[in-house]
Amino acid sequence: MTLLIGALTLGIILSLLALGVYISYRIFDIADITVDGSITFGAAVSSVLLVQMGVHPLWATLAGFLAGAIAGTVSGILQTHFKINPLLSGILVMTGLYSVNLHVMGRSNIPFLGTVTLSTYCEKIGNIVFGGNEILLMGWTVSTTDLMTLILMFLLVSSISLVLWLFFHTDLGTAMRASGDNPQMIRALGGNVEYYKIFGLALSNGLVGLAGALWAQYQNFADVQMGIGMVVWGLASVIIGEALAGTASVVTAIIGTIIGSILFRQLVAIALSFGLNPNDLKLITALFVFAALILPNMLSKLSVGKRKVAL
Amino acid sequence: MNNQQSNANLNPAMVQLTDVFKTFNAGTVNEVRPMQGVNLTITEGSFVIVLGGNGSGKSTLLNAIAGSFMIDTGKIELNGEDVTQWPEHKRATLIGRVFQNPFSGTAPSMSILDNFSLAAKRGKFRGLSWAHSSNLQDELKDRVSELKMGLENRLDTAIGSLSGGQRQALTLLMATWLKPKLLLLDEHTAALDPKSADQVIALTEQIISKEKLTTLMVTHSMQQAINLGDRIIMMHKGNVLHDVNAHEKQRLRIDDLLSRFENVRRRELLDESVADLLRLRYI
Repeated sequence: MTLLIGALTLGIILSLLALGVYISYRIFDIADITVDGSITFGAAVSSVLLVQMGVHPLWATLAGFLAGAIAGTVSGILQTHFKINPLLSGILVMTGLYSVNLHVMGRSNIPFLGTVTLSTYCEKIGNIVFGGNEILLMGWTVSTTDLMTLILMFLLVSSISLVLWLFFHTDLGTAMRASGDNPQMIRALGGNVEYYKIFGLALSNGLVGLAGALWAQYQNFADVQMGIGMVVWGLASVIIGEALAGTASVVTAIIGTIIGSILFRQLVAIALSFGLNPNDLKLITALFVFAALILPNMLSKLSVGKRKVAL
Repeated sequence: MNNQQSNANLNPAMVQLTDVFKTFNAGTVNEVRPMQGVNLTITEGSFVIVLGGNGSGKSTLLNAIAGSFMIDTGKIELNGEDVTQWPEHKRATLIGRVFQNPFSGTAPSMSILDNFSLAAKRGKFRGLSWAHSSNLQDELKDRVSELKMGLENRLDTAIGSLSGGQRQALTLLMATWLKPKLLLLDEHTAALDPKSADQVIALTEQIISKEKLTTLMVTHSMQQAINLGDRIIMMHKGNVLHDVNAHEKQRLRIDDLLSRFENVRRRELLDESVADLLRLRYI
């Protein structure tokens, strides 16, 4: 049960990463590798603020969002102002961020031992709400800290999703969706596609940075390597979400992406508990995304083939 | 008829191009010179048809005015303002556009309502107000039902699932939702079947005459050129070759237009045969 709750919580935290990838990959049609750097950047900035400066966890977490947004802005400016290929822009910013992260953190790993983080607050609130350290949930003893963390993270992600959904139905948000769908059209209607793209990548990577800040506080340390391969993780979540919920509207896409992230984390947890070597995790994630990218095409070819035979 | 002409002269210039030059891929084998010192004045409220063969520079003329690219030299004025350095999205405050490709003018995966909410903010600041305002929905329902395409109850449908004719009609409605100072139509019926093309042309005429829009319309169809508009300009090799005013246009027939084109073609042929002759003799 502890394992299940842990996987659920991490899945929910990382759904912010998945939502960020959804914005860059689906709305703007950019495979934005900046994500690998910005998730660590968010974690690095918030961890330094927490551990070395003693900033309040809420502000430190918000700083994680801002750090990610700055990384996204730089990536966006490289793409629009300097006309660098989106993939290459992402690679440049991600690579540069590796050094930046090391400088910010001062070393490759910062443990949060004894630091007041959001987890500390989750523990306090959990103790008050449930009246103890442990409660019985469906026959299992569960730590109230874990349970409260899960509940609070769920509430946080839900409210962020609601804000995102509202945003993508404002004049600005609609124009941003259109600039990914048909840039020529939105230019002809007076939209500044370059500006929307920078703003969109800032928002996307801001969410990713926020996920990094929360993730570090949840696992009680920040590591300079924690971002490696996270864009593929986000892609996997987005793809699972689309398979489950479809792409009909923004609301189904957002809900699908969150469910995708949670499911993917569960699958990984189950695989690991069955003895999967953690070193193989990235390879399997990559293979999974590869399969998800080519399967729809192969299936449609197969069904066309069958139809021909039937005729 | 003299009256009409003097009226036209009294109207202020909506579009003014002065010595506009543009070369694409300069210095390479793919060098194209679609604008070679174009001078053009279009008065407010006039409906100008642009004719010309392939590569004559007629679409380039529209794109230059719309700001799809920056011109090399010359000056473009719109509504009395020098817009030569304005980027495309800024010029869109003054210009409504419909493209040849029905896929170009609309965002395919977004709904009809989404698309019109974008059109309702053409050239305006886009902030955080709700895009699907109820005012917009009501007005949209009315305007779309006037199209008699049965789309008024399908406003949540993704626009990409509609036919080319439906999309062009909607794009036209979007381009003119906020009255533009200038409407640019770039062969907007060329990709449609004849029936849809007729529908879209009827709608075009209706909107332009109702709103008294200054319009530049590129077409390949001589029939459209004869039937529509009050002035024809014929482009050739990056310049305005003929300019037919309203007075002349009333007596113009398709044959006249064709013969003018034939003249151009003959001149071209002559040029080429002379070139061949010279080549034979000297190379």
